[in-house]
Amino acid sequence: MPRQRLLLACGALHFLLVFGVSCRDALRLVAGNYTIIRVSPGGWWEKAEALASAALGQEASSSPPYPGAEALQAYTHLAGIECGYGYFAPNVPDSYKLLFELQYPDGHVEYDLSLFESKESTLRHATLLDQIGQMESDAMREILIKLVATSIWREHPEATRVNTILGSLQLPSVSEFEAGKRGSYEFMYAYDFSVNPMPSAPAP
Amino acid sequence: MTRSPKFARGAEFFFPAESERWLVVLRMGMGLQVCLYCLWLRRDWSFFLAGTGSGLLGRQISEALLAMETSLVPTLSWLVRAAAAAGLGERTALLLCWFVLLGAGVCLLGGFFFRAAAVTAWFVHLCVAKSGGFLSYGVDNFITIGLFYLMLAPRPSAPVLGGRRGRNRPPDPHLLGFCRRLLQLHLCFVYFFSGLSKALGSGWWDGSNLWRALIRPPFSFVPPEFLVSWKYFLPLAGISICVIELGYPVMIAMKKSRALWLALVCAMHAGIGLAMGMYLFGLVMIVLNIAAFATRTSKPRADLQPAGQAAAPAL
Repeated sequence: MPRQRLLLACGALHFLLVFGVSCRDALRLVAGNYTIIRVSPGGWWEKAEALASAALGQEASSSPPYPGAEALQAYTHLAGIECGYGYFAPNVPDSYKLLFELQYPDGHVEYDLSLFESKESTLRHATLLDQIGQMESDAMREILIKLVATSIWREHPEATRVNTILGSLQLPSVSEFEAGKRGSYEFMYAYDFSVNPMPSAPAP
Repeated sequence: MTRSPKFARGAEFFFPAESERWLVVLRMGMGLQVCLYCLWLRRDWSFFLAGTGSGLLGRQISEALLAMETSLVPTLSWLVRAAAAAGLGERTALLLCWFVLLGAGVCLLGGFFFRAAAVTAWFVHLCVAKSGGFLSYGVDNFITIGLFYLMLAPRPSAPVLGGRRGRNRPPDPHLLGFCRRLLQLHLCFVYFFSGLSKALGSGWWDGSNLWRALIRPPFSFVPPEFLVSWKYFLPLAGISICVIELGYPVMIAMKKSRALWLALVCAMHAGIGLAMGMYLFGLVMIVLNIAAFATRTSKPRADLQPAGQAAAPAL
């Protein structure tokens, strides 16, 4: 009996968190005007989302909103319940591509798309590009692109300049596709990274 | 002390007597999932998970962002530091993690060292998923969820390969039932909120989201020319996905519609896996659904009852 009560209490807390996280993500979609429900900024939905985030111990401020909030957050990560389940929802986002233009000291230019052989790796790389493309912080986006560019440059150490272009794929609708329109990439951001060539090994 | 009828009914719902069949399905399914996860990522394992200066992004950026939320969640850097203390380099440590995770997956699949394998698989996978945060997607959450329930579930007594039946004491059937009930309720939450989020988007009602999802790189496995020939079917399929997901908690709870809904959900995930190349995602969802709802709820066999425990619910 006491063990059953304890297990029930643990289960209730667990599902309270699952429910809270799922509600927060759903409210975030509505508050951000991503859904068919039109809302005004700063309205009820936004407040409800902020309340849900605070209850889950996720506030924008650096300090946890209440004692134990960090432990609660840690638990959600350990149980795999830290995010909601709105995959491809409410709508399917654009697809993104990073193109690297590598310039060499002799003037020639090469292009790299950072492709992977394995399908699973390709999916994960696409996830990264989605996050870069949808990133709200310009500084964070630049850091991430710089890190990816560095990994590309490591494979082409003679290159002296890496121009990186982030584009989003505009997908045609069914009727547009039937009319002959195909997906086209739209320019989003460009970053130009100058690099110092790796020092060559001294001749023996 | 007497129990109220309400509590007795609640206990009956949350602690039904269960055989361990569902747990064997979950164990083997998650074992297969972990093995495939390791094998399909083997070529890029170090590239994805190495530190700054040698990998794609460097795992430190994901770990730093996670540390802003909480520093209590394990990451690969914990393991790399532990390996460094033993004189092993980062590359060796990452390779070791890969082998340990694969080994844990094989043990789960084969039914060896259940508890140790489940805890190891959960821990190492969690470290990998958290350190590769920007490269993680939904499948990682569901692997964590599956391994979390598996790790906490009672140890089954029926190994599939090797081992001897009867060596271990059979687990408490009511505890098995409780763990299964948690998994069932969790899936109900997952599908309801997934369906709700989709239903809130206009694109799932007219089929345009399904079209976009299927032609969007890198998920474009089906030629768009073929999809166009099925264009009138797309709105119906989009609405069906919303209905299947939103209706899941009710339809799966009713005995009459359970088999149909389970078949629909598994077909949906098989379709997503094959048409979008999301094999791991499709597999983990099918495994969780089959473990939660496909194996029949039954009274455990009398010969598998723990010593001194009656087969009837002792609530």
